[in-house]
Amino acid sequence: MTLKRATRRRLRDGGLYVVLLAAVVVVVLTADREAISKNFFDGDTWKGLWPDIILIGAKNTVKYTVIAFAGGIALALVLALMRLSPLRLYRWLATIYIEFFRGLPALVVIIFMALGVPLAFGWTPPGGTIGAGLMALIMVSGAYMAETLRAGIQAVPKGQREAAQSLGMGGFWTMVTVVLPQAVRIVIPPLTNEFILLVKDTSLLYVVGMQYDQVELTSFGQQGLINYSNASPLLAIALVYLVISIPASQLVAFLERRQQKASR
Amino acid sequence: MLIRLTPRATLAAAVLSALALTASACGSDSGSDGNASDNTGSSEAPSLNLISDGTLTVCSDVPYPPFENFDKTTPTGFAGFDVDIVNAIAEQLDLEVQIKDSDFNALQSGLALNSGQCDMAASAMTITPEREQKIGFSDGYYDSEQSLLVPSDSSIAGIGDLDGVKVGVQKGTTGEAYANENASGADIVVFPSDGEMYAAIKAGQVDALLQDLPVNLDHQNDPKAPGEFKVVEKYDTGESYGLAMKKDNTGLIDAVNEALATMKDDGDYQKIYDTYFATDQ
Repeated sequence: MTLKRATRRRLRDGGLYVVLLAAVVVVVLTADREAISKNFFDGDTWKGLWPDIILIGAKNTVKYTVIAFAGGIALALVLALMRLSPLRLYRWLATIYIEFFRGLPALVVIIFMALGVPLAFGWTPPGGTIGAGLMALIMVSGAYMAETLRAGIQAVPKGQREAAQSLGMGGFWTMVTVVLPQAVRIVIPPLTNEFILLVKDTSLLYVVGMQYDQVELTSFGQQGLINYSNASPLLAIALVYLVISIPASQLVAFLERRQQKASR
Repeated sequence: MLIRLTPRATLAAAVLSALALTASACGSDSGSDGNASDNTGSSEAPSLNLISDGTLTVCSDVPYPPFENFDKTTPTGFAGFDVDIVNAIAEQLDLEVQIKDSDFNALQSGLALNSGQCDMAASAMTITPEREQKIGFSDGYYDSEQSLLVPSDSSIAGIGDLDGVKVGVQKGTTGEAYANENASGADIVVFPSDGEMYAAIKAGQVDALLQDLPVNLDHQNDPKAPGEFKVVEKYDTGESYGLAMKKDNTGLIDAVNEALATMKDDGDYQKIYDTYFATDQ
């Protein structure tokens, strides 16, 4: 029996929907809804989390992310320029740094900065344990973003640089006014990615010890898990994480669309 | 660029994932059914509701010496006061012991027990009214005190000297609660476990630790840092450690209490106690 091509496709698509619907039905029916609502939607717990979940948890997560991201970008810019330098020594130093910090788990760097460095050198990074932990996040994110920035700088057409120099611009001004602005535009999507990773990586700071007004969302959620003997705080912080990271990526997508229009 | 699957491949993937979902759903169902029948079928201990027949699965947040620590030389791979107590109980009940290293939060919130990860949590856990609402406890098997540990050259002599001082506590413990209630002027720094706390006081990141007495005594007597830290105060909080079990598993709780009582009567408990604490008193 031969069916028309369109008919075959419609049957196949229909089959797909049926299978997916069946999967959803299976999931919904086999879940223990009473247990879920008791463990994740406990009204008193949700009320108890408010407003500290925003005023302390979310605030600190955003604060730590912004500090680590800003510091990381500044460090990454220096490293990227070093990697593109004609001086071999600079290139080597930057390469060693980047390979070293990309190769280590962020958690290990955080513990090392907050607890290892004071032990080994008798020197405490500024800002207590949180300051040390943030420094570690900057060091790690800087290593990642350096490679992103370098690729962006290299992706700017060579003609741009040559044109600037033929106008009599020096190397520094060419970089700052001609190459970097174009490079930044190129690397916005991968940097967004790094930003969203950082939002979540701030949760690693829990390991160095926190005072109550210093806790970020994950620690806040775990604290709630203990106080209420209930998993609702975990669901609550998950939602707040999404409230932070999804608008951030949407904002970048919007900026990107606008820039594309402008450069057309 | 999107990676395009052929429609047939998509269909196959969808069917596979649906099957996997169904299978896993059935799996968990038959798992709990199997449990129920095991319990009635077991002749040794008919009322023990165990997640795997013949084995007492115990969760513990390791390391927390002297109560629990890793030890490759023992059959379970763990050693310590709690571990010995659990082993002795299991012996009386004719059960094997399997120990899992877990997160303390999951233990004391009852999640590890209620989600079926383990039958019992043995992790130097104090019996508190809040925890008792969610968890079933055995009778107390160890009376604990809180204590304050400071560097030997510190001027801190007690809980009254902690205003504006950084005090390390462990997240979710009775030590944290005690510090919050009694050292209100202190900057209380919460750590995930004792390991980070001890590193932090060594690194000078905190000035004191408020922790269970036996654990702080362990730091005071640390052979790798002799004389560097001292316990300056003890607090009798009247607290007692209990073995935690699922609240509705009364069969197991009763059996454990009976075994504990037997141990105390026949001197086994004292023997274990002396192994870990006699020299510290």
